[in-house]
This record gives sequence, structure tokens and C-alpha cells, in this order.
Amino acid sequence: MEMDTKVEINKKKDILIMKDIIKDFATCRALDGVDFSMKKGEVVAIIGSSGSGKSTLLRSINGLEQITSGEIDLRGTTGMVFQHFNLFPHMSCLKNIMYAPMKVQKVSKAEAEKKARELLEMVGLPDKADSFPSQISGGQKQRIAIARALAMNPDIMLFDEPTSALDPEITGEVLAVMRDLALAHMSMIIVTHEMKFARDVSDRVVYMDGGKIIEEGPPSEIFEHPKSKRLQEFLSK
Amino acid sequence: MNAFITDFLEWINYAGGILPALLAGTWVTVKLFFWTLVFSLPLGLPIALGSRSRIWPLKALCRAYVFVFRGTPLLLQLFFFYFFLPIAFDIKMDAFTTGVITFILNYAAYFAEIYRGGINGIDKGQYEAAHALGLSKRQTMFGIILPQTFKIILPPVSNEAIVLVKDTALVSVIAVSELMKASRGAVNRDVDMTAYILAAVIYLLLTFVLTILSNYLEKRSLRYDGKEVA
Repeated sequence: MEMDTKVEINKKKDILIMKDIIKDFATCRALDGVDFSMKKGEVVAIIGSSGSGKSTLLRSINGLEQITSGEIDLRGTTGMVFQHFNLFPHMSCLKNIMYAPMKVQKVSKAEAEKKARELLEMVGLPDKADSFPSQISGGQKQRIAIARALAMNPDIMLFDEPTSALDPEITGEVLAVMRDLALAHMSMIIVTHEMKFARDVSDRVVYMDGGKIIEEGPPSEIFEHPKSKRLQEFLSK
Repeated sequence: MNAFITDFLEWINYAGGILPALLAGTWVTVKLFFWTLVFSLPLGLPIALGSRSRIWPLKALCRAYVFVFRGTPLLLQLFFFYFFLPIAFDIKMDAFTTGVITFILNYAAYFAEIYRGGINGIDKGQYEAAHALGLSKRQTMFGIILPQTFKIILPPVSNEAIVLVKDTALVSVIAVSELMKASRGAVNRDVDMTAYILAAVIYLLLTFVLTILSNYLEKRSLRYDGKEVA
């Protein structure tokens, strides 16, 4: 009884609770009983080698992957940023950002444009409003993609390896925008290979391997005092 | 030299004499072409979407439709609708209308397959981005996916349109007086190939206009890619 009350209190601060998530693909089990939760305003970095299930976990939050079993309690809306940007190539950058608010939230055109221009300002690309995605660089595309996701006022931002498709010298401009978001207390889950960024920006680091969460904790602990052998091996690579 | 000029003038005179009949036939050809495109281009879309549907009876129906209309000769379909329907269902239609309807049904099947291919050519990341933004399936299809298929389907659709110009000649077999029938009439009557030569020139002019139009549309559709048309 006492324990139940405790759970209830903890729940109030949570914005996302995932319980015993299992995801089977045709040939393998991608998530093998994952429990994960996060609080409002928290910045969580998910690290791990490829095939560890980290992207699948992220994608199951907004329904891009249908989980095989388990419980997802999502208390808010999500926005997502993809590795390959997935901007709409037939629309200008401005239109990319305006489209979903107008269609889904039925925001007026004027209002959507005002918001879109503010977001372009925020990601440092006010002069690219009328450019098409094919006319801008990878780093700029990803910043537009972030602005597009933010336009829907999501409660949680999901980042799926946002810098993995970028040349190393231009990841900085994208990470800078994400850092600003983190400083503004946006709730964020970031699947990433950028260890330095994960260490600097996140409140909590989750290490996954073989479809399971092996270890999680504050970045200082995870990076400086990894407990499990697998994480130690992963970090020494 | 004089004899040659006299012959030539005589030929011009003859050609001028049969031209009005050929132009009247051309008008019928153009009308058949126009009405076929006006209806078959949009009709292809629901068939294409249906053949990708998760509702299996709808999917089966649309696939069967394409299978039948693509898998049998257009000539056979013309005969079927022209001779069979009036007998079986007591429907009376003039030859031109029968021709237009047959062409619409036939070309819709081809366009449906072109559209389906175009839709399949869109990266799945586009669907994922739309889903992540909360767009409905309908909004995704009509706002995100279909506009992008336009440039993919344009070359094969133009190609089909050019094939259609030539296919219109087939309706001559059900006594529609289009360009082919008009020229054959003149050739048989006068035992002179001139009408066929003129008809060939007229067909070439029609396909030439279409080629120019499709090149223009293709160039426009590739603008946002920053690509040049070869």
C-alpha cells in the first residue's frame, strides 16, 4: 500500500513511462523488456552500438514502431528529428515548417508563418525561408528539420541520430541548436554517437545493448565510473 | 521541267482537295484523345490507391481491373464494347462514345500502374516525417506523397499520351471517322497514297506538340531539385 502511494507521487512528475517493452522484428528481438521513463524538462541521451535497440526504443514512443508488448504512457505530444532529415523536398523551408501546424492544428496561415519565421531565426536560418531543401547543406537541413518539429509545440523532442549523416565539421551547428533547446528546458531524448555532446548536455545517459538497458545514470557516473563490463568496453572503443 | 511543275501543281491541287476530309478526321481524333485523357488521368488515381489499399477486396478488385484491361488487346476491348454490350444489355451508344469509354477504361489501367509505381518510389522517411508531425494518412498522401510523385510519373505519362495519339487510329475499326479512317477512305477511292502521307504528317504534328508540352512540364517539375533536364 505504501509502495503504491510512492509510485503515484513519482508518476506525477513523469512525462513518459514505458514498461516492459518488447519489440520483435521478423528475425530478431529489438527490444527485450525495456523499462524507461523520463520527467518533464529532462534531457536523456541514449547511447550504444548499432543494433542495440536505441533507435527502435525512440521510434516506439511516437508509434513509428508498433511494440509487440508492453505499456507506453505518453503524457504529451512528441516531435521527431531524423538522421536523414526527411524534409519535404517539394516545399520551401518556410512551408516545411508551416505545413503541419496549418493542417493538423488548423493554425491560420499568417500565424503559422509568424511562428515559422521565429523558428528560422532561432535555428539561425532566417535567410533560407524561400530556399528548397535541395538548395541547402546537410547541417542547414537538419536545423530546418528541428524547426519543423518545434513548430508543433511538442512536449518531448525525439532526436534519432541527428548528426550521423553529417560531415564531422558541420555537426557543431546542429548540436548548438540542440544545446540551446536543452538550456531552455525542453524535454529531449537523444539517440546519439556524440559522446562529448551526451556528456555535456544530458541530465541522464542510458546505455543500451542487445535490446536492453544495461546501465543508466548521470553523465559523470556513466562516463567516468561505468559499472558494467559491456559499457566499459563500449566506451573504450 | 514544265511537266514536273505541272505534275507537282496537280498533286498540290489533289492534296488540297482531300485535306478538309482529313482535317475533319483529325478533329475527331483530337476529341477522342482529349476526352480519354480528361477522364482516364484522374480515374487512374483511385485505382492506384485502391491497389495499395489494406482493404483486401478493394485491392483485389483494383488489381483485377488492371490485370484485365492491361492484359487484353485494346482492339479486342473495342470490339467487345461495340458489339457485345448492345446485345447483352441493350445499351445503345454511338461508335464515338463507345470508343471514348473503352479508351478511358483502358488508359486508366495504365495510368493507375504508373501512379502506383510513382507512389512506391517515394522514400519511407517521408511517411515517417508526416506521421511524426501528426498528419493523417489522407493529408500525408495528398499533401506530401502525391505532389512528389508528379515528377516521377510525368515522363511515363507523357509517353502514354503519345501512344494514345496513335492508338486512336484503332477506333476506325468500329466505324468512327477519325483521321485514319478518313485517310484510308481517300486512298481506297483514289488509289493514291497521298492521304496516308498527309495523315502521317498530321500524326507527327500532334505528337510533336505533346513532346514540347511534356518537356516544358518536366523542366518545371524539376525546378525545386536544382536538376537540369537532359
